[in-house]
Amino acid sequence: MLPFSVNLRPGTAVSEQLLAAFHRALANGQLRDGDAFPSVRAISRDLKISPTTAHKVVTHLKDRGFLVSLPGIGMQVVAPDLAPAAERLALLEPAAADLLRRAEELSLSATDLATLLENLEQSKSDTT
Amino acid sequence: MSTPVTVSHLTKRFGKTIAVDDLSFEVPAGAVTAFLGANGAGKSTTIQTILNLHKPSSGQCEILGTNSRKLGPTELQQIGYVSENMELPLWMTVGRFIKYCRPFYPTWDDQFCNQLLREFGLPLDRKLRHLSRGMRMKAALLGGIAYRPKLVVLDEPFSGLDPLVRDEFIRGLLQLTGEEGWTVLISSHDIDEVERLADRVIFIEDGRKRIDRAVPELLENFQQIEITRSSTDPLGETPPDWIDYHESGRTIRFLIENPDSDLETDLAKQVADATGIQRRPASIREIFVSLSREKRNRITPES
Repeated sequence: MLPFSVNLRPGTAVSEQLLAAFHRALANGQLRDGDAFPSVRAISRDLKISPTTAHKVVTHLKDRGFLVSLPGIGMQVVAPDLAPAAERLALLEPAAADLLRRAEELSLSATDLATLLENLEQSKSDTT
Repeated sequence: MSTPVTVSHLTKRFGKTIAVDDLSFEVPAGAVTAFLGANGAGKSTTIQTILNLHKPSSGQCEILGTNSRKLGPTELQQIGYVSENMELPLWMTVGRFIKYCRPFYPTWDDQFCNQLLREFGLPLDRKLRHLSRGMRMKAALLGGIAYRPKLVVLDEPFSGLDPLVRDEFIRGLLQLTGEEGWTVLISSHDIDEVERLADRVIFIEDGRKRIDRAVPELLENFQQIEITRSSTDPLGETPPDWIDYHESGRTIRFLIENPDSDLETDLAKQVADATGIQRRPASIREIFVSLSREKRNRITPES
C-alpha cells in the first residue's frame, strides 16, 4: 500500500494524476518532511501502472527537490515550508474550472461565485 | 537499446480473407505497449506472425534485430509469450512444468521463479489440468517470465480472469520490469486495466492501423463533446469528423479527434441553435468504444 491517497480516474494522464496526488498529500499532511517514499517499482505494482510512468513522476519530483535518494535507505520526502501561493492555487484550478462551468449552466457569473465563497468564509469564521 | 519489434507493411491472408492489411508499427523498448482492437481485428494474427507462428503474406516483422522468419533459439530465449489459448502440458504438475521449462532458458532465475510461485500461490504438486483458468494463466506467465526475457508478448492474457487474479497477474508482470532492458506488448479487450498500464496504444480495425500514440498524447487528442440545442428537431447530415454521433432530445454527443483551439466557435457555427457546448477529455475506453461503434455503423447504418 502507498503512504498517500491516489485515486486514478480515466481520461487524464496517469503521471499528472500521480503528481497532483503527491502535492495534495503534502498539503494535507499525509506526507511530511523526512517520510520514506516508495520505490518506482513499488508504485508501479501498487497502482498497476507502467514503471515508465512511475519513473517519470519520481524523476520529476526529484528534479524539483521534493524527493531525495539516500543511499541504502531509499527515497525521502522533502517538504518545502509552504509552496508559493500560485502553485497551491494551481492545484485548485480543475475544481475551479468545474465550478465555473456549473455556474455558467445556471447562468451565474464568476462574481456571483466569488460572493458565494466570501459568504461561506464569513459564516465559517462566525461559527468558530 | 534498438527497437524490440518493428512491423513493416505486414499483410496476412488466409485464403481470400485479409486478416492483417499493410500494417506497420514499432514497439519501443522499456515501455508497455497496448495492442487494442475489436474481436477479429487481427491482433492475434499479428502477434502470431511476429513470433513466426505464421508466415507473412507480404511485408515483414523484425524482433530483437532478427527477421521473424529467422527466429532461432538465441532470440526465443529472450522472448516470453503468453496467450489466452496457449496449449500447456496439462498432464504435468506445476513443479514438473517448471522443471520442463527451465533447461530451455540459460537466464532462468530460480529466485525470481520461487518468488512468483509464492506470490501466485501456485501448488507445486497439482497438475495443470486440475487448476482453475486463473491459476493456469498464472502458471503460464511464470513459465514465460521466470527467465527475465527482454520482450514479453501477452495475447489477451486477462480474458476470463477474475479481478483478483488479474491484479496478481499484472503485479507479477510488473516484477519483471526493472532497470535493465524490458519491453511489454500486450493485446487486450480489458481497456480499463490497460489504460493505466500502457505507455503507448496501438489500435487496429480490420487489420489496419487506426491509432498509434503515446497515452498522454492520445488523451489530449480526443475530446468528448456534448451540445445542448434549443430545438429537438433532428440535425440531419453531420460533419464527417464527428465520431460516433448520437442525438437524443435536445442533446447531441460525439467524439472529436485533434480538436483545434477555436473548436467552440466552429461548433457554434455548425449547430446554429446550440445553447451550451461542453468538452471534456475522453478516456481510452470511450475512444475505443466510439471508434469501434463508428466503424460498425458505417457498415450497417442504424435505422
